[in-house]
Amino acid sequence: MRKDDPDPEPSLRADPPFRRILIANRGEIAIRVLRTCRDLGMQAVTVFSDIDAGAPWVREADAAVRLGPAPAAQSYLRGDAIVRAALDTGAEAIHPGYGFLSERAAFAAAVASAGLVFVGPPADAIAALGDKLAARRTASAAGVPVVPGSMEPLPADAPSDVDQVVRLADEIGFPLLVKAAAGGGGRGMRRVEDRPELVAALAAGAAEAASAFGDGRVYLERELRPARHIEVQLLGDATGEVVAIGERDCSIQRRHQKLVEEAPAPGLGPDERRTLFELAVKAATAAGLRNAATAEFLRDADGRFWFLEVNARLQVEHGVTELVTGLDLVREQFLLAAGRRLSPEVHAAARAAVRPVRHAIEVRLSAEDPARAFVPVPGTIGHWRMPSGPGVRVDTAIAAGDRVPPDYDPLIAKVMADGEDRQRAIARLARGLAEIEVSGIQTTLPFHLALVRDGHFLGAELSTDFVAEHWDGPVRQAAARADAVVAAARHAAAGRSRSRAPGRWTVSVRKDAADSSAWKDAALAESTDRWPEPPPP
Amino acid sequence: MTTWAVRAARAADDGDDPIEIDIEPGTDSLTSGGPRVTVGESTPATRGRGAIVEIVVDGWRFELEVEEASRARLRAGATADERRHRADAGDELRAIIPGRVVAVSVSAGDRVVVGQPLLVVEAMKMQNELRSPRDGIVVQLAVGPGQTIELGDLLAVIAEATDAP
Repeated sequence: MRKDDPDPEPSLRADPPFRRILIANRGEIAIRVLRTCRDLGMQAVTVFSDIDAGAPWVREADAAVRLGPAPAAQSYLRGDAIVRAALDTGAEAIHPGYGFLSERAAFAAAVASAGLVFVGPPADAIAALGDKLAARRTASAAGVPVVPGSMEPLPADAPSDVDQVVRLADEIGFPLLVKAAAGGGGRGMRRVEDRPELVAALAAGAAEAASAFGDGRVYLERELRPARHIEVQLLGDATGEVVAIGERDCSIQRRHQKLVEEAPAPGLGPDERRTLFELAVKAATAAGLRNAATAEFLRDADGRFWFLEVNARLQVEHGVTELVTGLDLVREQFLLAAGRRLSPEVHAAARAAVRPVRHAIEVRLSAEDPARAFVPVPGTIGHWRMPSGPGVRVDTAIAAGDRVPPDYDPLIAKVMADGEDRQRAIARLARGLAEIEVSGIQTTLPFHLALVRDGHFLGAELSTDFVAEHWDGPVRQAAARADAVVAAARHAAAGRSRSRAPGRWTVSVRKDAADSSAWKDAALAESTDRWPEPPPP
Repeated sequence: MTTWAVRAARAADDGDDPIEIDIEPGTDSLTSGGPRVTVGESTPATRGRGAIVEIVVDGWRFELEVEEASRARLRAGATADERRHRADAGDELRAIIPGRVVAVSVSAGDRVVVGQPLLVVEAMKMQNELRSPRDGIVVQLAVGPGQTIELGDLLAVIAEATDAP
């Protein structure tokens, strides 16, 4: 190594971007951010609700601050308490992770006005991008094609305006989606098949948006089907430079929430990728983006890209981009938050992004029942074995015996695999999934195990309709039940074989113990409410 | 916790009726290509039911009740008897498990309400409370503390109260 080309890591450790970070999140993402703090030689302060006392991100931090009772509104959403915790513990910057406060402009502003650094885009950019309608107008004005629909909030109240809304809907074309201007996570979203359903869907969407976000403004978007969900990872610095470092295909979804993500998006050529990156950078630059964000697009059957929104934060699925680019995106976030320029590594990744030489896939292992429309099923983990080995990465905060509480997201682990190409990444993912053992709760594992053997998935036939078209959860569960009956009988017989002669055993299937959970009932109601298709019986 | 490979599925069951399967202990062998089976928590058999075994097959989680078929049939018969008696006269309570009566909390002639504890039967070191299935009068108490009972034995008779309380 030349003398004028020093190894950057030791010098970074000697001069880290910050001395102490507060991580305003829980679960696997709190651990994920904490690990980068350790890599950079920074101290980490974490926060916790009562139900999370003693959790790994609490035990492993340099300091941990209690926020309040389990409900998020009384703990992880208490921006004031989190800012105070940062000040009290001498943290210089706050990393919000994803979810919770990560996209609340008021929180980012409060952090800044307390003299602390918010590790994410500036408050005004979060506000501009968090308002989906404003983001649509900004992107459109910058010359980025947005999904056809309305650009202004709909007048949903006055009866005299109904004709106007119906005319607008006719222009956009059915079926269409009612979406919340303040939206996210599919909330406030309603699918409208045809004109008669429109008014009711508007009212329902507006009411749900008002209760979820305190903002009942809704707009219309044409439903693009079939389509693929493809998003671009962006990084930007204080000079206003924004680069794209790669795209992800996140088409496999349920309830408009992602189940599987991969990078790069299969089947895109360098030219198409370059076009996509230009659109993403244009939209983000126009909104004044800095730090890390993701621009989301739909790709229609004709291969055209349509802007959906920009998420002004680190995404759940950032890991697959890390595996393909070799970057640590949280590290880059910290460097950018400290005011540094985009690093040479980031520029190199941006140049290489058009022709990626690795492939990575992530599946989200969640406490959900894939035989019943992916309804969340909380409970207590019994046995817990996660995979490892070449090309497999697992991000999780769960251990055997842990409770998966009903208060937060049902995501329990992100299982990633990478390789030189998609085929090898899938082979490693299949191997990793086969190593997983979880008892005590139902998880989405059956879906993922079936996915890596599914001809449509292996053939990269990806679409946002994938789950609706190719997943037969109840059928597969019934087949597995037959196996379980035999296995139970064998288990019982093996236990008795020492003392008794061969016998005839009766095996009956009991209702799942989790069936009586109030959380599950509430979640079922919510998921059926949101599920665009009738859930399987 | 053990992981087994199990051979191809039998016909799917879908209901509360138990499925009877012949198992030859010692013939289990690890077969490749079968579903991945993880045996989780097991709870031993208790009064009125068999052992509960948690089985995870290819990620699908089930809780299964397992017991010897002969015993299950006996119990099913006793339960049916009990139901029939209750439907007919609505007043005979019979033992659905063998065991020993360790406590009796009512006397003949007592007025009882539905759900009221009548007596406690100990079986396999577990104490099991028997509650009244209905409102009425205890017209007969067939057992006393310390008495050993067999499956199907008459325990008590509850009749309709003839006068207003």
